[in-house]
Amino acid sequence: MSKHTRREFLVGSLAAGVSAAGAGPLLAQQAAAAAKPADMTIAKWSGVSENLSKDQIKQIAIKLTEQAIKGLGGLGRFVGKGDVVWVKPNIAWDCAPELAANTNPDVVATVVRLCFEAGAKTVKVGDNTCNVAAKTYKTTGIADAATAAGAKIVYVDTNRFRKTALKGERIKSLLLYPEILETDLVINVPVVKHHGLPGATLCMKNYMGVMDDRRPFHQALPDCLADLTRFMKPQICVMDAMRILTAHGPRGGNPRDVQLKTTVAAGTDIVALDALGAELLGKKPADIKTIVKGAEVGLGTMDYRSLALREIKVA
Amino acid sequence: MSGRRRIWSAKRLRPAVQIVFLLAFLGLLLCARPGAGSGPNPAVKLFFFFDPLILLATALAARSVPAAMLLALVVIAMTLVAGRVFCGWICPLGTLHDFVGWMFDRGGRGAKLRNLWSPWQRTKYYLLIAFAVMALFGGHWVCTFDPLVFLSRTVTTAGLPAGQWAVEEGSTAIYHADPGVGPARLTLVTEPVYRFLRDNVFVVPRQAFLGGGLIALLMLAVLLLNGFRRRFWCRYLCPLGALLGLVARRPLLRRNVKQQDCNQCGLCVLGCRGAAAEGPGERWKPSECFVCLNCTDSCTRRAMSFRWTWPWRREPAVAPLGMSRRAALGAAVGGAATLALMRSNPQARGAAFHPRLIRPPGARAERDFLARCTACGLCMKVCPTGGLQPAVAEAGCEGLWTPRLVPRIGYCEYECNLCGQVCPTEAIEPLSIEAKQQVKIGLACFDTTRCIPYAYGRDCMVCEEHCPIPDKAIYFVEVPVCTRDGEEKIVKQPHVDPDLCIGCGICESVCPYKDRPAIRVSSANETRNPANQPILPAAEESGEDYYGE
Repeated sequence: MSKHTRREFLVGSLAAGVSAAGAGPLLAQQAAAAAKPADMTIAKWSGVSENLSKDQIKQIAIKLTEQAIKGLGGLGRFVGKGDVVWVKPNIAWDCAPELAANTNPDVVATVVRLCFEAGAKTVKVGDNTCNVAAKTYKTTGIADAATAAGAKIVYVDTNRFRKTALKGERIKSLLLYPEILETDLVINVPVVKHHGLPGATLCMKNYMGVMDDRRPFHQALPDCLADLTRFMKPQICVMDAMRILTAHGPRGGNPRDVQLKTTVAAGTDIVALDALGAELLGKKPADIKTIVKGAEVGLGTMDYRSLALREIKVA
Repeated sequence: MSGRRRIWSAKRLRPAVQIVFLLAFLGLLLCARPGAGSGPNPAVKLFFFFDPLILLATALAARSVPAAMLLALVVIAMTLVAGRVFCGWICPLGTLHDFVGWMFDRGGRGAKLRNLWSPWQRTKYYLLIAFAVMALFGGHWVCTFDPLVFLSRTVTTAGLPAGQWAVEEGSTAIYHADPGVGPARLTLVTEPVYRFLRDNVFVVPRQAFLGGGLIALLMLAVLLLNGFRRRFWCRYLCPLGALLGLVARRPLLRRNVKQQDCNQCGLCVLGCRGAAAEGPGERWKPSECFVCLNCTDSCTRRAMSFRWTWPWRREPAVAPLGMSRRAALGAAVGGAATLALMRSNPQARGAAFHPRLIRPPGARAERDFLARCTACGLCMKVCPTGGLQPAVAEAGCEGLWTPRLVPRIGYCEYECNLCGQVCPTEAIEPLSIEAKQQVKIGLACFDTTRCIPYAYGRDCMVCEEHCPIPDKAIYFVEVPVCTRDGEEKIVKQPHVDPDLCIGCGICESVCPYKDRPAIRVSSANETRNPANQPILPAAEESGEDYYGE
């Protein structure tokens, strides 16, 4: 893990909704290409953010995701030619995208597209839903968006879990989903949400979608998530903070609890991303026990500003 | 004789027609499944709409029926014209009976020689009279034994789950063992087949029903009776057959026997499905005849044919039902007495409510619900979580196999209203999603002697996490607890807000306890029964004052 504390501000101005690229975006691209790959990028929309239409938000989500991943050095850094990739969004609840209970479908679709552009042979998208799978995949918009981007939608099937040795501190073995573990790369694509128990559900908690019967985990969430995250060996996470759920999480359902943040972050340090997510929710990372535990056991650093961080303003 | 018409080769045509209707029935039943879209094909209710028994019983019991149920008048008209064609050619359960009877024949255990009319065949009429009197006083129980309902319920709660068990367990075993030679793996065949069945036939994972075995046994018993008498159920018991028999006393299509050509050989009796004649070639009872046409087909002397006539014509002659007035009166009294017995218990009188009788959202108040529910099982079939289960004892004898939510098995999905969409008699009213989300079907409560944060001082909160109410009907309070070592720690203890809880049961369904959950839903507070609402609504919740003004 990169130790040097470099902070980059990259202010690109990308013309929204205009196909002809001006000098601004070209410069931004060149600068990004020239720099050393960052450990973490935060792409934030700096243009008009009031009264945005659904389609404008969609375009912003696509741009931010592209920029965040490009800032990391592109998916080519993680995806090999002919790889099978599992994109793991949060598809838990039978709620529309506007309610921020699940990952933004356009963020997911963009990650899928970038996987193919980086040479992936197959991209699978799936999660172990909390509500009824077929309907949840549909309502969240993820099934349609990911399919349109060329991904294969996979339902996580209750009958296909396999007991797998985890050899963690607390969890020795677990029913995990073999099809996910058999892929070459898992890209964790969570959404930033409030959660009653740990305070926030972010990247680490999103891994709970690869397992069966996660209920007992809640009795010691920090320990269990640390074990699971270590087992999953996160290489890259793309964190969706386009809309965040600030209260009554993780399901929400009240538009009043949703905040438009128009931010997408990506990185290789899962704890650092979670720390950023906590801050986006207005919480101190040190107050979120899962983050503290993740840092303690060496899964990453809570101080994301100490990383090779690139903040990208997109307009 | 003029007007003589033979329907050519009924022997081949009829089984083909029967199979088509049986497959249509099963096909529509399979269409009653949850999906990604808004709802199932509205045609799933079609067979029930055409069922005159459901029309009659619901009209008598509830005194109103959904307009679409008037389609059953088509079957009445058809029966007035051509007799019990429905029983012989259409009824999917009749087709199964024919199939089982045919198997018995092949096995050399046929029941062919018992095909003359028996006075016991009047039993079904007396039963129907008893049931109709019950219906008149609001008891809809007869529909529980309607053949379409009977078959639909058996396939849903027993047949399909058994098939699903075999497919899921079998393919999972192959998946984990992954047998094969080199790149040729068995799973390359089994997995696509499994996924197809999973996504298109079974749909709800591990769907299974409480007491499905009992339902299957009843069906098995009724089918095995074919070894004793062909179509035993249809001849002696079927209430729909009885209703159609009453309608078919003087049909326009009648069997005609040329007495001069008939030598009373009895071939016509051998193949008779309904035991419709009292003797070879004589005393034909249209009320018992399924119009299967085996008799005319088997007559080597061509003495027998079906021909059209006017209802007032005496020829061709028909034999009457032969019901006794005294027995009919006795049946009516028996029906009233049966209903009185069924209703004379505390639950039926509204003095007590069964805590685990959680009806699906949109279900009418219990009495009105029972006046409409046929226990066909469509709502259970379509329930995406598999939580709707057939009641065994919870709803009393009258509510046998009617739907109830068992949250331990599956919860009521917040964004779903399918049960009301498929209910043929609107016992569960079709509600919009928004309206359905306002309906309380019960109330959750914690068992603090088991709930992990209360009983063991550890975090949990899975119930709160899953609560679908936008402002959460489950909230928590941070409480200091003392650990075994004497240290104090803060634990989040959950509580239920009775004003917000709609009783969907997702909390119970996800509670880590799988034997007896530490949060359980009871029927208390259900919108449909005002007498079962112990919790005074919060001031801002109700627009009316305490006295309901």
